[in-house]
Amino acid sequence: MNYRRHIVEALTLVAAAALCATVANGLASRERKLSLAASVGVVSPRKELTAAPRSTSSTAAEVPASSDSMNPAVSSTPTSSSSQSGIPATVSDVPPAPGPKPSASSPAATPSPTTPSTTSPVIPAGSENAKVRFPPHKDVAYVEIDGPQAEWLYKKGVLFLDARRTSVYEAGHIPGALPFSVWESDIDQKTEALYGEGRDGEAPVVAYCSGGDCEDSHMLAQKLWGLFFNNVLVYKGGFPEWTGRGNPSKSGPQP
Amino acid sequence: MTVARFLSHPWLTIRMQLALGVIFIAAALPKIVDPPSFAHMVYNYRLLPGAAINLFALILPWIELLTGLCLALGIWKRTAVFIVAAMLIVFIAGISINLARGNAIDCGCFDVSVAARTREQRLDDMKFVIARDLGLLLMVGQLLFAEGMQREFSQGNDVSLPI
Repeated sequence: MNYRRHIVEALTLVAAAALCATVANGLASRERKLSLAASVGVVSPRKELTAAPRSTSSTAAEVPASSDSMNPAVSSTPTSSSSQSGIPATVSDVPPAPGPKPSASSPAATPSPTTPSTTSPVIPAGSENAKVRFPPHKDVAYVEIDGPQAEWLYKKGVLFLDARRTSVYEAGHIPGALPFSVWESDIDQKTEALYGEGRDGEAPVVAYCSGGDCEDSHMLAQKLWGLFFNNVLVYKGGFPEWTGRGNPSKSGPQP
Repeated sequence: MTVARFLSHPWLTIRMQLALGVIFIAAALPKIVDPPSFAHMVYNYRLLPGAAINLFALILPWIELLTGLCLALGIWKRTAVFIVAAMLIVFIAGISINLARGNAIDCGCFDVSVAARTREQRLDDMKFVIARDLGLLLMVGQLLFAEGMQREFSQGNDVSLPI
């Protein structure tokens, strides 16, 4: 048996496959491209981007949980193992819902994506109330919320991010939600652009995907946490539960 | 001897070779068309480090496609058979480990879209996938057996699989 010949053939096949994969990935559209530099499911160390310094809301100090400085030197030296990984220790960290129980009727307000600003933090209308009910949690990447809580936040105009694939997003999404698929190659650009908008890092941001076993929203939350978004809420039930509760949805590429 | 002759018969061998080739080509195409979805599937297996997932998801489908083409077209058949066998063993091991863990996942073998199924349905499907891959491994075994028989008849000469 000519082992050397088979090894050469096998290596040639693998090399040809790698070449084809590289060329195909280079020619692929944004939604079908993979980033080879990305490390999937790994929480990046928290670091401020130098391009657009994070703006801190002037009201952040009003919330006890956010009273610490957002100084990276402080936040990047977490005191617990859970904060090192960015993964919540328990789901029971979900904040209580002291506010009135929201109805399942169609929300009146649509969260409006804000325009980039370099002068002041972008604070969506109603985010102050939302921040009181859902205080920042800088030591954990995300806190899970349920359907009524998501509806309440939606009515307050809180930013919703859809972590599912763009094609799925276009088939139907929560009105106003932005497409932020963690599996597409431009996710880091999107999260950094969101950071660059100068949003209030203490204001709630809701991430959702397909519910069930879907972890895309959790992965997105961890990416955002790495950029000092300290109040990312994961809507565990996701889009299926949202529509199942009779809430509106929208199809197409526009939020 | 009759069984051995049947198993090494060119009529059977060529059909096994073509079938395996077509199966691997069919398995590769959905993954090549939508690499991010396949990367998601690979991630769900919880076997590879994060840095290797995208690379694996990009290259594996092309290896499947090229080996499938080699089998179907009769090019570098013996090498292609070994690569297919190696891939099947890796697939069976990956599914088995997750089945043992109780981690219900979509196989991502021929379809990379996330199916709306229950945990029990996924676990049942994983058992079916293991059985199916073992069947494919038997097909590989037939090709290697036929090649060995051919070699024996040829008195040690390096002979390719019969066509």
